Amino acid sequence: MERAISLERTVSLERTALLAQLSTACRDVQAGGEARPAARPTAQPTGFAPLDAALPGGGWPVGAITELMPETQGIGELSLLLPALAQLSRAGRYIAWIAPPCLPYPPALIHHGLALEQLLLVQTRDARTALWATEQALRCPAIGAVLAWPEAIDDRQVRRLQLAAEAGGSCGLLYRPPAAAQQHSPAALRMLLRGDVAGLHIEIRKVRGGGRHALVVHPAAAA
Amino acid sequence: MLWLCILLPPLEPAALRNLTFWALQWSSQVSPRPPVDGDDCAALWLEIGASRQLFGAAAALRERIAASLTALGYNGRLGIAPTPQGAALLARACTSVSVSVNAHAHAHADIATTPGELRRQLHPLPLTLLALPREQLAALHSAGLRRIGELLALPVAAIAQRFGPDASGYLQRLCGTAPDPLRLIRLPPRFTNRCAFVGAITDTTALLFPLQRLLAGLQGYLRSLDRAVQRFTLQLDHQRRAPTRLQIALARPSRDAAQLLTLARERLAALVLEAPVHGLGLEAQELLQPLVLQLDCFSHSTQQAEQLQQAIDRLTARLGPEAVRTLRTAADHRPERAWTARAAQDTAPTAPNTTPTAATTAATTAIATATATATATAPPLRPCWLLPEPRAIEAPTELLAGPERIESGWWDGADIARDYYLARGAAGAQWWVYHDLRSGAWHLHGLWA
Repeated sequence: MERAISLERTVSLERTALLAQLSTACRDVQAGGEARPAARPTAQPTGFAPLDAALPGGGWPVGAITELMPETQGIGELSLLLPALAQLSRAGRYIAWIAPPCLPYPPALIHHGLALEQLLLVQTRDARTALWATEQALRCPAIGAVLAWPEAIDDRQVRRLQLAAEAGGSCGLLYRPPAAAQQHSPAALRMLLRGDVAGLHIEIRKVRGGGRHALVVHPAAAA
Repeated sequence: MLWLCILLPPLEPAALRNLTFWALQWSSQVSPRPPVDGDDCAALWLEIGASRQLFGAAAALRERIAASLTALGYNGRLGIAPTPQGAALLARACTSVSVSVNAHAHAHADIATTPGELRRQLHPLPLTLLALPREQLAALHSAGLRRIGELLALPVAAIAQRFGPDASGYLQRLCGTAPDPLRLIRLPPRFTNRCAFVGAITDTTALLFPLQRLLAGLQGYLRSLDRAVQRFTLQLDHQRRAPTRLQIALARPSRDAAQLLTLARERLAALVLEAPVHGLGLEAQELLQPLVLQLDCFSHSTQQAEQLQQAIDRLTARLGPEAVRTLRTAADHRPERAWTARAAQDTAPTAPNTTPTAATTAATTAIATATATATATAPPLRPCWLLPEPRAIEAPTELLAGPERIESGWWDGADIARDYYLARGAAGAQWWVYHDLRSGAWHLHGLWA
């Protein structure tokens, strides 16, 4: 009996969602003659209030490149993204992982609320194809975030990825070595990451429309 | 009936066959004629009376066909008339080789849509344009005739008597007073076509142009059958060695030649040619009903799914199916077996959902039951990064949490007995390490990235 009621609720929820979708679509058709997606937000909330406050858009820049430069692996550099990735995946956007250094571990990702069926894992032979795949993924409007670990990349190539992210309206998230901070880059946001017992130290080196900033967050790690 | 005739410079039989398939996208009735003696042009007839409503007026349709022909790099002359012979004659009368450019200037002198119009158009044209043997043309000339109109003004019986039944029969077919059944192409059940190169090709980009022609043939074939292709094979022929075969798969069936060409281009770009290529073959497998997506004009999510499929197809074409995957959890206690990956093309994601799907919920349940070994309340935490292979390390100096004992796999020979800990690594890193209970060695297995 209980089961029947909950099933009924699911059905009526689906119907409400469908009706809402239809009425939006009708409005779009009336307004512009063709369906257009709603205007995309310019930032995706990070899920960390102090970080959102430090970023001019209030989150990870959308349609732009963000460079993350962790001192070493395993300090929470990926957990920092998980709330945003979870939200994007739940909203039906896809998350592309281009040649990650390790396996994004499905049991942990599910635990952090990611919709696993929205993830795309891409392995590449060399740096050149990895860059190509990153650009392809960034250009696809269905993909909400692209994570990549370019080995060596110059500012011309970052600019190219920046244009692709603009075209696709996705968050381009590049992990780079800390030494890259000395290099010029057209990325919209650049941050150095350092971990210790106090948490994850974020040093914002550059952000479009904002200044340098340093803060500590506590990504959902183990301890 | 309204016929469009395309006169083409001499062609290889395979090329004519391919153009015949190409033509099928505009008409279900297509008839090819290879070059014959005395007339070294190949000809292709399309019945366009039926498709005229669909594609617009005859002149507009002719423009579209001419543009497509030019894009494939062919120089053709086009004529439209109610009879096949009339269309061919108007095409021959077309002096300009690049027809599409001058079409408007000629006020469509090469289009006649009714028999009366055809007769008027034929009237001033020289007799030499008639498809008659040279000696008959000479006989007409010596009889003092110069224009087709002068000949057509004579009674049919007189023509038959003076110039023979062949000549009068031809004139009747030309004007439509006698039937002229053409041998129409019948679609083969499988699409396969090839082209041979005069010289050897050593650069894969040089294969794109001939491939574009072959794919244009495939597109016509698929449209005519109302089918789409899920998988196709390119065969690169070499001399004295086995051909190179490239199989290209799509997540969603398509019949768009441009889209297929993009996928093939990615695949060819990744190919290192081991020998010069002397010929190219195209074979289509898995013909399916196309999905009706064009009509779905206001579903944004369907459009997104389509865009994702195209991205997956492009990545897969260049990197291979094993390089573009989706992830799943698996109900196994052993951390390295608690997940699986499948080719993204096979999993064929549907339109994005705004609510978590049943699959996620099921997977969450599966992993919850799979990992709830020691504690029944909450599943033990897992690190975001799992190393591809556990890496041997020195015994960690500081253990932060644990142990979590995992003993499993006795049934399949890959059994493990490990104590997992959270350990402090260098520079503030947090490691997921295990102590192998059998060997006593320590391993790094994951990172709390």
